[in-house]
Amino acid sequence: MISEIKERLEEPGLDEPGAGDITHGVRTSTGEEWSQAGIRQFLLYAAVGCVAGAVIALQIAIMRIFSVGSWAHFGSLVVSLAMLGFGLTSAVMCMARHWFERHWFVVIACSLAGVAPLVVGCNLLAQQLPFNPIFLVSDPTQKWRLLGNFSLYLLPFLAGSFFLGTVFLRAKKVFGRVYFADLLGSGLCGLLTLGSLFLFHPDNLMLVPVVLAGIGGVLWFAGLGSVRGAVLIALVALASAAAHLWLPEKLHAAKLSVSDYKGVSYARKFPDSQRIYQNVSPFGLLEVYGSSYLHFAPGLSDNASLNLASMPVNAYLGLYIDGDGPIGIMRDLPEDQTAYFKYLPMVYPYLIKSQAKTFIVQFGGGISTSVALHSDAQSVTVGESNPAFLKAFRENAELKAFTGDLLHHPKVKVINYDGRLFLANTQERYDVIDLSLADSAGLSNPGGFAIVEKYSYTQEAMQNYMRALNEGGVLAVTLWNKEEPPKSVLKLYATLAAAARANGEQDISRSFFVASSYLSTVTVLYQRGGFTEPQLAILRQHTSAMSFDEIYSPGFAIDGDQVSKVFDEFRESIFSSADTEPQTHAGEDNDPSLGQAGDSVADISEPDLEMAGDTAAQTVPATQLSRLAWQALVNNDWQGFSKRYLFDVQPLTNNHPYFAAYVHPSDLPKVVDRLELFQDEWGYLLLWATLAIACAAGLLLISIPVVFGWRMIFQHYPGKRETILYFACLGFGYIVVEVGLIAHFIEALANATVSASVLITGMLVFSGLGSFVSERYLPRARAIMPRVFLAIGALLIAYGFLLSPVLNMIGHLDYAWRLLCCFVLIAPPAFLMGFPMATGMGILTHLHKDPMFLWAWGVNGCFSVIGAALVPIIATSFGLTAVLAIAGAVYLLATPAFFGLLKPVNNKLVR
Amino acid sequence: MKSFLRFFCVSLAIASAFSPAIASANVPAPLTWEASPPTDSRAAFVEWMVANRGEDAKYLGQRWDRYIIMQRNHDLLDEKNARAYLLTPREEFVLKQNLPRAYDHAFLDIGYGVTISGPHVVGRMTSSLNIKQGEKVLEVGTGSGYQSAYLAHLTDKVWSIEIIKPIATRTRAVYDDLIARGYSEFKAINTKQADGYYGWEEAAPFDKIIVTCGIDHIPPALLQQLKVGGVMVIPVGPPGAQHILKVTKEANPDGTIKITRSDIYNGKIVPFVPFTKLEGDDIKGSHNK
Repeated sequence: MISEIKERLEEPGLDEPGAGDITHGVRTSTGEEWSQAGIRQFLLYAAVGCVAGAVIALQIAIMRIFSVGSWAHFGSLVVSLAMLGFGLTSAVMCMARHWFERHWFVVIACSLAGVAPLVVGCNLLAQQLPFNPIFLVSDPTQKWRLLGNFSLYLLPFLAGSFFLGTVFLRAKKVFGRVYFADLLGSGLCGLLTLGSLFLFHPDNLMLVPVVLAGIGGVLWFAGLGSVRGAVLIALVALASAAAHLWLPEKLHAAKLSVSDYKGVSYARKFPDSQRIYQNVSPFGLLEVYGSSYLHFAPGLSDNASLNLASMPVNAYLGLYIDGDGPIGIMRDLPEDQTAYFKYLPMVYPYLIKSQAKTFIVQFGGGISTSVALHSDAQSVTVGESNPAFLKAFRENAELKAFTGDLLHHPKVKVINYDGRLFLANTQERYDVIDLSLADSAGLSNPGGFAIVEKYSYTQEAMQNYMRALNEGGVLAVTLWNKEEPPKSVLKLYATLAAAARANGEQDISRSFFVASSYLSTVTVLYQRGGFTEPQLAILRQHTSAMSFDEIYSPGFAIDGDQVSKVFDEFRESIFSSADTEPQTHAGEDNDPSLGQAGDSVADISEPDLEMAGDTAAQTVPATQLSRLAWQALVNNDWQGFSKRYLFDVQPLTNNHPYFAAYVHPSDLPKVVDRLELFQDEWGYLLLWATLAIACAAGLLLISIPVVFGWRMIFQHYPGKRETILYFACLGFGYIVVEVGLIAHFIEALANATVSASVLITGMLVFSGLGSFVSERYLPRARAIMPRVFLAIGALLIAYGFLLSPVLNMIGHLDYAWRLLCCFVLIAPPAFLMGFPMATGMGILTHLHKDPMFLWAWGVNGCFSVIGAALVPIIATSFGLTAVLAIAGAVYLLATPAFFGLLKPVNNKLVR
Repeated sequence: MKSFLRFFCVSLAIASAFSPAIASANVPAPLTWEASPPTDSRAAFVEWMVANRGEDAKYLGQRWDRYIIMQRNHDLLDEKNARAYLLTPREEFVLKQNLPRAYDHAFLDIGYGVTISGPHVVGRMTSSLNIKQGEKVLEVGTGSGYQSAYLAHLTDKVWSIEIIKPIATRTRAVYDDLIARGYSEFKAINTKQADGYYGWEEAAPFDKIIVTCGIDHIPPALLQQLKVGGVMVIPVGPPGAQHILKVTKEANPDGTIKITRSDIYNGKIVPFVPFTKLEGDDIKGSHNK
């Protein structure tokens, strides 16, 4: 097939401008196809855009597949995987540049023909190789399965990057325009893929890159005037799409394997389980299942068993997003079946607030709304950031009937966006503001958590909630309390106390009441103006009646003698070494100590671990620790507390919005031999592992050309170090800005997928425009570029400090306006960031530093891998402001490197 | 015909997944409560078990090695739990592909999104219940069946409920097979496939309850079916680092009932022990190193 296309291409008159050289039957002249005029040239640019778009679409599709099938966190590593593909390609092409120059046509044809089948085939194979993150430490085969998954998904990226690399090689003289097409295509196709999330179920999302790659191939061959080539590529793409649709069924093989350990998998196994609702959108795959086996009563007091004859039957539906959950949807229960509500922690604020004007920050499955309505609330305003939730509850007849059409209840008013953003911008005041187990799935799932931004729990958000209270109003925050040693709850305590102080309260001792249930939930109540004694009496009586633990209330006395012991024992519980204990020998035949083994059987009931039979009520250390934490907070000594505690428990802020990264970086080496103890931190630990792998892979790829003899050629080119530094800065800086801004913009867009899509599209499109415009400034680059770098650096550093309040401010606008504002915010830095890459590559071409051209592209790609891996570590360690500030500094660092790039070539040596 | 073939294939798959059960020899004689394997040496233990239980010496060796580590880590707190652990053939309850790791310090996949807890967790959790012979014990979440098999060596009154039907069926088949091969003590295990949320009312009340599945609250029915003076244990947290919540139900002097939450160590912080392994005869740090 390829030979036929080559023949067609070699027919006289096929390419208008330039005859080109024929060597060994293959065209070797550089880039005459890019000198064509009119529509054909446009088709080539469009082809580049489509294939680059296919690569972006593939990244989004793989992210979604990992998110729905297993663990979202691995999906987010896909950006690094794609960049690794570019780095690997450039290394190979750098070593065999002349071969690629000679065989460019075959390489491009094979790459174009390969993308679609590889997307379909590799996905199908990868889905037959499931891995399970929870066995990652205990089962050695899981690491190989994960490696297998990533290796398979790398292949289509390689095909795409070989196409783009070869095109860049051919189109050096018009690099700025090709790069513009690349970025514009990536950006627009990112937007297209976002739209396709409304149409395609996640298991069919792979069709988007298949179709885009097919269109790209057809356009390419049309641009070359090869009808046969275009038809063949179209057929390959169609066959691939058909294979994706029908082959899995024929082979009884899943095209998206959902782990048995996902929440939805359990629901599907219940004998009477039935799916009653499903919806796909960028806001996730939302599914609702019904089963008599589903039971929800988060934080229910154990004392309910003493006073309730039974719990209501068939009272719940399970709501799952991307297979995670369930979030309980409450049936509209008759009054006589709601007695158990008073045993739930969400009822606390209504003990002291009757006829309350209530605000529910996040609707979720509606449990807080139901509790409020049954607690005689005067009105209930609910915020919900996920439009898919609201659509389900408003439009699905079955859900409406089940919930008694809760969202249309006469007392209920709905805010169509994040309650956090509403409260930040409203003049309304409320008696009760409730944030109960919002994102419950995210905070309660056992297993590793991805690093996700939790803006609803930040200090700034809490300040806004507190400001939105009437005098005497109550903010109630309930969180899961299932960690031992405690982590999340300590962050929550610190955040709430910091918010109260930031709002001007010097003495916070009368403003809080805290109760918890061991290994269940914790509820923090904040009252504007402080609690009165009668109110405290009611709260204390209820806490006692529910057998909850009182953690803090005004005047609560704490025994300070145990402080050191508690801190030391918690540290010891995690970081003690088994090796410090006496060794016990296990074999008898060669070891006389075996008698000890037998003896120790008699000793094992020795009292150092006395357990059974002793039922004396004791305060568990986690409860003691929480009490000590509140003592420290009230005394304004959180720094002192957190320095002594084994985990990082600094408050959440908009700059640092993470319930994650509890392990101090200095403790990381000690974690390695006990990873199973940090399963809820695997998302964070994986970041470090990814960074290490990214650094190793990046440096390896960069060094390959040097090791394989290219040093001899490179040494003739002046400014090598500056060239490396320049493109490393660009690769690193660009991706750091992109990934960092995705995390920032969630603050206004309230959804990670939308934020990612907006940023990918906005950054690439505006940068594409920048690269296009930069071409005309190439002759004056020496004067222009330093100013550009200065502007980028200044903008990014300013964004780091100013973005958060601006995003909060636009948060209350309609979603379309918010999207528009976000694009406007992205435009200035993104446009300027389009200049350096195109200008740098243009300079390499003009100065005839051809061997460095591909290498520069590879350096750029490799440092993108490292940058993508480093962003979450910088964000969790130093905050999101630091991410943008570092990116700004890196762009400033590129300024001196740029002048090295301009050093002319010594032509004698090159020759 | 088609359905028969399907049934045949499923049966074959179940049989092959648990093939050691088929390959093992029969138990020579029923176990009595007085019988206990020697614990003075590995060789004596293996010899006694081969002679009296007809089990594979390879797995018996692994069981002994794990026993030594569990002793050192205080996972087995008395002789009756040590006996129960040593008599329970864990290799019969793991999937074929996990047989080489049956006695590892690790939880293992048993299919359907369910794991078999590591021997150390089962030992610690069951030890903390201080089960006495004749006490009634309810397990919610049969899973692999290993926990109930262990319990059957402590008491002759065990009830176990599994929510996932294929697992319930498979584990019942494992028990039946073991009983047929002479493990008469497993006749004490009553099983059913049902929603464990409601307990087993017909058999209630129970002296001890073990809940081995995750839930966002303790089902009131289970607390109601727990005797006054009874103890319930529930593992909480990720599989590798579970804390074991202990819930006690006691009578106050005034006759009212008090329910108390603690952990199984009554408040004492106990160091976690990283995955341990044997190198030769020595216990070495960790599988992760």
